[in-house]
Amino acid sequence: MQTNLADFIKDTPAGREADAILRSCVHCGFCTATCPTFQLLGDELDGPRGRIYLIKEMLEGQAVSQTTQLHLDRCLSCRACETTCPSGVRYHRLLEIGREVMEERVPRPLVVRATRFLLCEALPRRWIFRPAVAIGQLMRPLLPAALAEKVPLAAGGAARPWPRRAGHKRRMIALAGCVQPILTPNTNAATARVLDRLGIELIEAPAANCCGALRYHLHAQEKALDDMRQVIDAWWPDVESGRVEGFVMTASGCGEHVREYGKLLKDDPAYADKAARIAAMTRDACEVLAAEQEPLAALLRQAGADSGERVAFHSPCTLQHAQKIRGVVEALLTAAGYRLAPVADPHLCCGSAGTYSISQPVLAGQLRDNKLAAMNAASPALLVTANIGCQTHLQSGSKVPVRHWIELIDERLNVGA
Amino acid sequence: MSIESSVADRRFTVDRQALIASLRAVLPEQALLVEEEEMRPYECDGLTAYRQLPLIVALPADEAQVQAIVKVCHALKVPVVARGAATGLSGGATPHRDGVVVSLAKLKKIISVDPVSRTAVVQPGVRNLSVSEAAAPYALYYAPDPSSQIACTIGGNVAENAGGVHCLKYGLTVHNVMRVRGLTIDGEIVEFGNAALDAPGYDLLALMNGSEGLLAVITEVTVRLTPKPELAQVVIASFGDVRQAGDAVAGIIAAGIIPAGLEMMDRKAIHAVEPYVNAGYDMDAAAILLCESDGTPEEVAEEIGRMTAVLEQSGASGIRVSQDEAERLRFWAGRKAAFPAVGRMTPDYLCMDGTIPRKRLAEMLDAINRLSEKYALRCANVFHAGDGNLHPLIMYDANQPGELDRALAFGAAILELSVKFGGTITGEHGVGIEKVDVMAEQFSLAEIAAFHRLKAAFDEHGLLNPGKGVPTLARCREYTLARVGSATSPRS
Amino acid sequence: MEGLIENWIGRVADAASAGRSLAIRGGGSKAFYACPEQGEVLEVSGHRGIVAYEPTELVVTARAGTPLRELAAALAEKGQWLPFEPPHFGASATVGGMFAAGLSGPRRQAVGALRDYVLGVKVLNGSGEVLSFGGQVMKNVAGYDVARLFAGSLGTLGVVLEVSLKVLPLPVAEKSLRFSIDEAAALGKLNAWGGRPLPISASAWHQGVLTLRLSGAAAAVAAAQRHLGGEELAAGLATAFWESLREQTYAFFAGDAPLWRLSLPSVAPPQPLPGSTLIEWGGAQRWLREGDGRAIRVAAARAGGHATLFRADHALKASEGVFQPLPAPLLRIHRQLKRAFDPQGVFNRGRMYPGL
Repeated sequence: MQTNLADFIKDTPAGREADAILRSCVHCGFCTATCPTFQLLGDELDGPRGRIYLIKEMLEGQAVSQTTQLHLDRCLSCRACETTCPSGVRYHRLLEIGREVMEERVPRPLVVRATRFLLCEALPRRWIFRPAVAIGQLMRPLLPAALAEKVPLAAGGAARPWPRRAGHKRRMIALAGCVQPILTPNTNAATARVLDRLGIELIEAPAANCCGALRYHLHAQEKALDDMRQVIDAWWPDVESGRVEGFVMTASGCGEHVREYGKLLKDDPAYADKAARIAAMTRDACEVLAAEQEPLAALLRQAGADSGERVAFHSPCTLQHAQKIRGVVEALLTAAGYRLAPVADPHLCCGSAGTYSISQPVLAGQLRDNKLAAMNAASPALLVTANIGCQTHLQSGSKVPVRHWIELIDERLNVGA
Repeated sequence: MSIESSVADRRFTVDRQALIASLRAVLPEQALLVEEEEMRPYECDGLTAYRQLPLIVALPADEAQVQAIVKVCHALKVPVVARGAATGLSGGATPHRDGVVVSLAKLKKIISVDPVSRTAVVQPGVRNLSVSEAAAPYALYYAPDPSSQIACTIGGNVAENAGGVHCLKYGLTVHNVMRVRGLTIDGEIVEFGNAALDAPGYDLLALMNGSEGLLAVITEVTVRLTPKPELAQVVIASFGDVRQAGDAVAGIIAAGIIPAGLEMMDRKAIHAVEPYVNAGYDMDAAAILLCESDGTPEEVAEEIGRMTAVLEQSGASGIRVSQDEAERLRFWAGRKAAFPAVGRMTPDYLCMDGTIPRKRLAEMLDAINRLSEKYALRCANVFHAGDGNLHPLIMYDANQPGELDRALAFGAAILELSVKFGGTITGEHGVGIEKVDVMAEQFSLAEIAAFHRLKAAFDEHGLLNPGKGVPTLARCREYTLARVGSATSPRS
Repeated sequence: MEGLIENWIGRVADAASAGRSLAIRGGGSKAFYACPEQGEVLEVSGHRGIVAYEPTELVVTARAGTPLRELAAALAEKGQWLPFEPPHFGASATVGGMFAAGLSGPRRQAVGALRDYVLGVKVLNGSGEVLSFGGQVMKNVAGYDVARLFAGSLGTLGVVLEVSLKVLPLPVAEKSLRFSIDEAAALGKLNAWGGRPLPISASAWHQGVLTLRLSGAAAAVAAAQRHLGGEELAAGLATAFWESLREQTYAFFAGDAPLWRLSLPSVAPPQPLPGSTLIEWGGAQRWLREGDGRAIRVAAARAGGHATLFRADHALKASEGVFQPLPAPLLRIHRQLKRAFDPQGVFNRGRMYPGL
């Protein structure tokens, strides 16, 4: 596409990057087909092609208002468009640049800024978030329905204990995370039990808190980088000593972000190398299990259970579009004897998308309900996903339990135990 | 002659504020876009070389709202430009400076899928691929499959008479649509065709297909669904020389075979696609052919055998047959992503769409290569070889002064050659704004005048998509004058 | 040839200035069809001959006066044909008459109608201009699809001079099967089979007997026969049967009783209309030999289709109208289109609808 970037940005690194991305777009429109918001709203401005155009206009110096802000805000950053794009347009990067410029150009109302501040400060801090959720859940029956839905529900199975340290030679670190230990404590515990059976000891580094994704996507870049440095500091001694072979991500949203550490901290001389190293050592839990395919199959055979239970899997956008991991969880579940129910439009986002369910509640609700309808079409016994955000968001609208897939593998392995 | 002039003509005098007020009276507030900031992204379709800010963009959600808009525009004599997914490559949905863009993207309901009558009734904003997805549980599908089928809409498909990679055997949109419901410019609801196989009177249904939004605004379409063949397999043949590939195409038809798909890609196209799609194309080939066979397993085995024999006789240097459905889809994925994948090699491209007799494919490819040198622009070639339909992709950089003009001249030269070779300037993309001047190459003034009279039978004041499809007689004369003395003078 | 057309152009100009109508006539084989001819005859069968035919291009271009038999023979020599099986209705049938009538034979439901094979036309319009639309290639969307508009327009828009058609290879194998079955069950079966990838190329139901024809690769035809069962018809008998349907020489069509053609959605149930019926095209074309015109038209419209008084005497045609009446907006478009191509109303006045 033809571009003519304005002087204010033309010669900056961000401007050059944006220009290259814009020029790789040929405006074919394929991306609109798989964009969740375009599917809901049917307005060019609510699809990737239209947003690219809005950003282009802004970077070319045209006046922008809350119109551009609204349509950029509505983007879920699910990156389904990048999976579809045949021209290789790095949309998410252009969006990041566009959003940064927009934040400078278009002021936000105080109430929005206050909400963002609260999210920014509360969610990544377990000591605030835990009591807040507890109070919210206590108050839930008294709250109006619209508000009650916003209080996160605990999801997944009841937390069962971590395995006793078995003194395995192989060791990996799981990210404890910010929200996950409070809402779905069983996820990491189940991962630890499964890996234990495979001869890998899973540990957590208590000082590693939030991966930084939350604040990064709330335009609190500096605070996000601090979160990331904190995680790196917590993990680095074990990397240096060779005590762990890698990092296991049980929330694909965090996984995506940790894998970007190298790029995000490349300009920080003190952390650039460490960040790159850690990013390279990071795997989603499904990749770790897939690498242990044969011993896992043997364990499953030994456990002997094959319930044929029907489950519907939703692959989080951060897994299928951002990390481009497709079909791996599905294969693990099938190998463990679960029957996968067909889900229409598997590429569409469930509406969770970080804090999207809070900032765009109407669209998030529609996407959630559509996703639940698609998942429940074949009446599965369980809904399954791979990310804490998707899990709690889906659970907020579902009577059918929503679990993390690792819990199902864990249960299957422990049927006979 | 300015390329924008036909959508920037000033023969309409519109009072914008009065128009907005009239539209506001009949539409919900969020159904109108009136600020420049929000209309800019609507200024072009898949053909970005042509851009025009519309007067207003309307986003109706149902037929009644479309009707209300059309009635207002008719009353105030305002141009109406219907728009689907805006994936078109000829600028059929380029706005008019004094017109309303009516986006039909919100009319996206699949009203019914009837497996017994093998039909589906859909709104115009339904995507081509989602019709097939909705029909899949009944082992049926919608046959026309333009490369943009993931995004393009049925309304746009009808407007352009869209083709695809399977039309030699399964036909174009016109062969697969049974009924079109729409609005005349005066806002009257009309139905062309019906649920039977024919309708009384003139074949207005055929006329609607490919009418590029110039005759009516489509609000509903009944499409025919086709039973999925039991098996489909595709053969990829590599050739060291494009001439051999061209001969192989004629050879297959001469052998009495009508392949379900027969496509050709040249080296540049292969190199654009393969690194991204990993379809398994031969990067050393000068050209590849994709030949599909479908039917019962016995039928397919027999036909693949006969096709393979022809391909070998024609000098294919390598032949591969898809072994399962996943591989077949992967072989096709490369072809279907070819246009945008060229976007990885170049910031901009123009996609041409001439159709010529098959026997002249190789000759045409040679000529295109010579033109490529003459205009100093690269060109990748993707052909619907079975139909003789060419898609040369002329690569240029719009940020480099002069390149767009060179690309346009290159494209025009290809279209002139297409006519000279006994073909047409457009096989399936439509004339739109892009080829409106070149129409004079293919049609006489009397024929162009006949098109105008036909248009007037539907739209007396010329309000539907003005400036597209058919050039004014004045522009034809200008074009003809400009061509005097050139080697390829148009027919008089 | 040029002299011939020059002469016609003069005739058209004379008729236009005198306000007379010209009745275009080729072989006269379909003079029985549609509304009666009016005005002086413009004899056009002299403009004949195949202009271009290249089997590997799958395209033939022929002048309108070319006898249909001659075209069929030329195609057959190269193993090709017109797959829509146009009815000839007599030895004198011409390419132009086939095109203007726009009729298709038993294979229509499987492969498409005449209009689906039209690629281009050359016509003479009411202003005496010779115009070409479409072309000789498989795909062509330059300009409006006037070539298909002229197909089946009964000569009311102009004189067709030349037609380019897509042709296809002859089927390798064919077999016909018979089943004893009642009307409702036959319709049910035909629609169910239609939704499956079976090589059914024609079907006919009459008086409790359903006849199917399978066409395609030998293997596919054999597999379908195994699947469908039924009683196989001897090859000679089968050919004669389908030809007699196409040409309406089959016993059902004999006699002077009016012949109604109902074009309905294939899924329409048996119609509550009196008299014997013959069903073709998988249920989409149904013939009747008697009945009240008004009731037939109402039933056809209610079922989602339309009815044509296909064969009848002039008096009945005049009272019932040949074709289903058009809704007002469509009639208006028809009149304006007629005016666009034939402003003085010279050609085949009233042949399709009164006043057109």
